[in-house]
Amino acid sequence: MTAKSKKKKFTLINAFQIATLAALLIYMQTAVKSGAVSKVFLAAPTDIIAEGIKIITNGTLLPHFLVSIEEILVGYGIAAVVGIGLGIIWTLFPKTEEFGNVFCSAIMAVPKVAILPLLILWFGIGFLSKVVLIFLFAVFTILYNTVTGAKQCKESYLKVARVFEASRFQTVFQVVIPSALPSIFNGLRLAAATAFTGVVFSEMQSAKAGVGYLLSEAQGLLNTPRVFFLIVLITVMSVIFVKIISLIEYAVCHKWRRV
Amino acid sequence: MPKILIKNVAKTYVDGDGNPVEAIKNIDLEIEDGEFVSIVGPSGCGKSTLLEIVAGLHSQTFGEVIIGEKPVTGTSRDIGVVFQDAALFPWKTVKKNILYGMEVAKVPKAEQESRLEKYLDLMNLKGFEDKYPSQLSGGMRQRAGIARTLIMNPKVTLMDEPFSAVDHLTRCTLQEELVRIHQKEKKTVLFITHDINEAVFLSDRVILLSPRPSVIQSEYRINAPHPRSRSDEYLVHIASKIVADISRGAVKTDNDFVI
Repeated sequence: MTAKSKKKKFTLINAFQIATLAALLIYMQTAVKSGAVSKVFLAAPTDIIAEGIKIITNGTLLPHFLVSIEEILVGYGIAAVVGIGLGIIWTLFPKTEEFGNVFCSAIMAVPKVAILPLLILWFGIGFLSKVVLIFLFAVFTILYNTVTGAKQCKESYLKVARVFEASRFQTVFQVVIPSALPSIFNGLRLAAATAFTGVVFSEMQSAKAGVGYLLSEAQGLLNTPRVFFLIVLITVMSVIFVKIISLIEYAVCHKWRRV
Repeated sequence: MPKILIKNVAKTYVDGDGNPVEAIKNIDLEIEDGEFVSIVGPSGCGKSTLLEIVAGLHSQTFGEVIIGEKPVTGTSRDIGVVFQDAALFPWKTVKKNILYGMEVAKVPKAEQESRLEKYLDLMNLKGFEDKYPSQLSGGMRQRAGIARTLIMNPKVTLMDEPFSAVDHLTRCTLQEELVRIHQKEKKTVLFITHDINEAVFLSDRVILLSPRPSVIQSEYRINAPHPRSRSDEYLVHIASKIVADISRGAVKTDNDFVI
């Protein structure tokens, strides 16, 4: 992110890494094209690219892609607001944490994928059940990172606030939350990655649209190049999403962080 | 009527293993209006505990602290505290840090600005107001910390080893600045330090605390006008006397432990 990553030397290790990757791709290519490995199990890189270009240009991908993005943005957005908001409420009023902690821990302990059948019964196989699942995937990570960050506020900062007779609200909003920002962003980043797991999984299980739906459909049609392409696409999307959160953090915090 | 009256103050706290620890026992101290008093003593003797009791950050087990005519029952804007590591908020600029107390107290913006000018001047911080603490040297940070306290115009100023984290030369400069400010503003100061030369150089009176449980072991009045010279024979003599008294006190408690 900072200056140190600018000038990286290209070492022998890097050369070997590229060679290894190239060898893997060449193996995939020759093994599939020569017929040594069945097309069902593996896809040639050229076929993967061709399939990717095809579904992008013929308009197959875009509606599914947009559905997934929308589900993630809504589910994750609500999770971020609720997670941070509840974290602040817990910090402001410790009694509310005492009350709510046991419930949140309990719901957090449930493997979210196990709730999916219930979510489908309640919210159908469309947009809403996905949003709820993504929300459940993301919200607790964000909540507990906010609360932990707030608890790790330096004692000396709190003393300063007390010495100047800051009210509880002033202390929480001007001291505790700013000092918890690194931890909050950490939670947002972790949750961003799991949000993708949530959306792909739920779309694969039961959906009418979405990248996950497309993925399981491709598998059903034995279209392995498309499966590979979608896996790469989902990975790239997930990485970009996490990167966006890091960029937001950088924009908010870089001025006062030590360079 | 003394400015700070510490009457028979004692503090016993419970340590991590549940054992009561007597930190301070029976301290009586009167500090006159405008007087600069330093407290020295071996490390862990309860100097900082005493300061935090006077600041209202901790409650005492016995006794009473009276500032002006009011007993201390908690923190107050009449009592300014300068902390050891300056304890600036890293996410605020120097200006925002200095104004923090006034923001909390909701002082009108125009008055904040005019007072800010004065204290930026007084602490030689002109030109640094838009920097963040991480961009400043230790000495500059502590200047900002002192400005943040003095700008509130507290009735008494408590300083908890404010220069212990800065290098020797900076420390000397800061000491001289503190003397200059004290001569100008004639505020009552209670200064905690483990540096005997510092205490002797700055103070009207030096109080030596004994090892835990601490009582006042001796008291030294320093009748030398400011500006003082560090090599002044009289000051050097007092400093060496204090050093001798400290080792005497330490020997005494060692014997206590042997028995």
